[in-house]
Amino acid sequence: MTGIVEASGLSKWYGQVIAVNKVSFAVGPGVTGLLGPNGAGKSTLMKLITGQLRPSQGQVTLFGQRIWNNYGLFMRIGLCPEQDSFYERMTGAEFLAALLRIHGFSEAEAGRRTTSALELVDLAAAGDKKIGAYSKGMRQRIKLAQAVAHDPEVLVLDEPLAGMDPVARRETIRLVRGWGKAGKCVIVSSHILHEIEAMTPTILLIHNGQVLAEGDVHQIRDLIDKHPHHIFIRCSEPRRLAEILVRFSDVLSVRFQPEANALTLESAQPDEFYQRLPDLLLRHEIDLEEISSPDDNLQAVFHYLVK
Amino acid sequence: MSPVMSSLARTWREFRTIAFLTLDTLFWSKKTIFVAFISVFILGLSILARLILTYNWVRAPFTPAQVFGTLMSTAVIHFLVVFITLFYGTALISEEVEGKTLTYLFVRPIPKPVIMLGKYLALVWIALLLVLPSIVSSYLILYLGSDLGPFFEDAGALAKDLGIVALAILAYGAFFSLLGAWLKHSILAGLLYAFGWEGIIPYLPGYLRKLTITHYIQSIFPHDDTPGAIAMLVGERTPPLESILTLVLLAAFFLSTACLILREKEYIIEQ
Repeated sequence: MTGIVEASGLSKWYGQVIAVNKVSFAVGPGVTGLLGPNGAGKSTLMKLITGQLRPSQGQVTLFGQRIWNNYGLFMRIGLCPEQDSFYERMTGAEFLAALLRIHGFSEAEAGRRTTSALELVDLAAAGDKKIGAYSKGMRQRIKLAQAVAHDPEVLVLDEPLAGMDPVARRETIRLVRGWGKAGKCVIVSSHILHEIEAMTPTILLIHNGQVLAEGDVHQIRDLIDKHPHHIFIRCSEPRRLAEILVRFSDVLSVRFQPEANALTLESAQPDEFYQRLPDLLLRHEIDLEEISSPDDNLQAVFHYLVK
Repeated sequence: MSPVMSSLARTWREFRTIAFLTLDTLFWSKKTIFVAFISVFILGLSILARLILTYNWVRAPFTPAQVFGTLMSTAVIHFLVVFITLFYGTALISEEVEGKTLTYLFVRPIPKPVIMLGKYLALVWIALLLVLPSIVSSYLILYLGSDLGPFFEDAGALAKDLGIVALAILAYGAFFSLLGAWLKHSILAGLLYAFGWEGIIPYLPGYLRKLTITHYIQSIFPHDDTPGAIAMLVGERTPPLESILTLVLLAAFFLSTACLILREKEYIIEQ
């Protein structure tokens, strides 16, 4: 196992509660998505990686060195924490400059880096505004700016897209991908699969404090496709559509939701089902209003994987 | 600049930034309103005493020196100093944990003890800023008048009082900072110590009194005819030099223990 960030047999428990359970992984340059539902242990794992918590068992290393109380390593790490907390009375620029000075940068250098970090996250115009007056999205971006202002080699981003508007979200995704391409080791967490997919194909899937899967996000997609798929369809005539669909052998069950004028069916071959559906709808003149797959979320993947 | 000087300048910059961040947080907290209220109350008492002395409203058998000594002993040292250091000292770490901002400091390339020391510097700074002007103002209110003789005669005692208050701030500040870094309910523990333990033990005979900070402060207190001096009647004073040294050593011990705790303790920031 070789990587910039490595964990071996890493466990963390709070009293009787196990938050991270014997986790081993190695993360190298590029973007790695830490994917898991709320309460899976993502934040605890990130706190262990960034030396905010001491492992109960096992170890986590960065560049081959243990992180807990290893202050020198913090020059090489940038953390965007999940919590929405700041020194509210400070302006965005003051906040960044203060943290840069704590990093040891001179006043002039801290000022230069502050300007550049604010520009990077598109907050140059709001740099002199108090953080207390920032919107949720701006707060998220200033948090991101303080993580990257000192140009670290390792970036740990805990739910960085939370609260951002679509434009800021797209821009942040672009930034994260750029940092990964530039050779930085970026670990980014989310509980939303498509957010992670937009940033990286490499994932660590975590559930109940354990790493369930590691590797390419498409393998996770394949895992989903091996299992019967639930598909939700809202249309003009759900009962007539059901009558048509049950003739196909891959359709295993159909359940009606009259209040929504919809049905949910289970298909064993989702790809074929999706190919066939448009033609059927056209031929039988049924108007489609909405189609979605409740399975196309992370919780369903975890359910499949732990079964 | 030599590498040593450059390294010192860098450490000072980090230390000063932590102190300024803390000062800003402490000063603009709700606690400052309460502290300001106590300061104004002390000034109010001084003005009232001065009016009584000037206009003989009651047959007051006291002098400005006695009033000032009593104010120093009761209101300033045992109340204002204790409250300021208790409120701000216990908040140094706990406020950052509750406000979830400690993370920003803990992921920087500076030793955690430097964070503690920077915060302690801010505490001493704000405590001196809030206490010393109120002492000097009280002195001026009580002594300034047509006869400036007592004003200059007791100026030495005032200087000594200011020194004692600074020592008290150092010692109490370090103790309450330690409680804040160590305990979850540090303010309760601090109140129990300040008004339970220190409220009773100094009045008991024996050597137990030496386990209080107030004993060493009372031992060097220049006003003999004040309520605080009563405690000294039931036991011996510790010699002045020994008292000063003990207060400095206690402050150093509490502060280094606080640094050690901050270094080793895991602070759980709730999401």
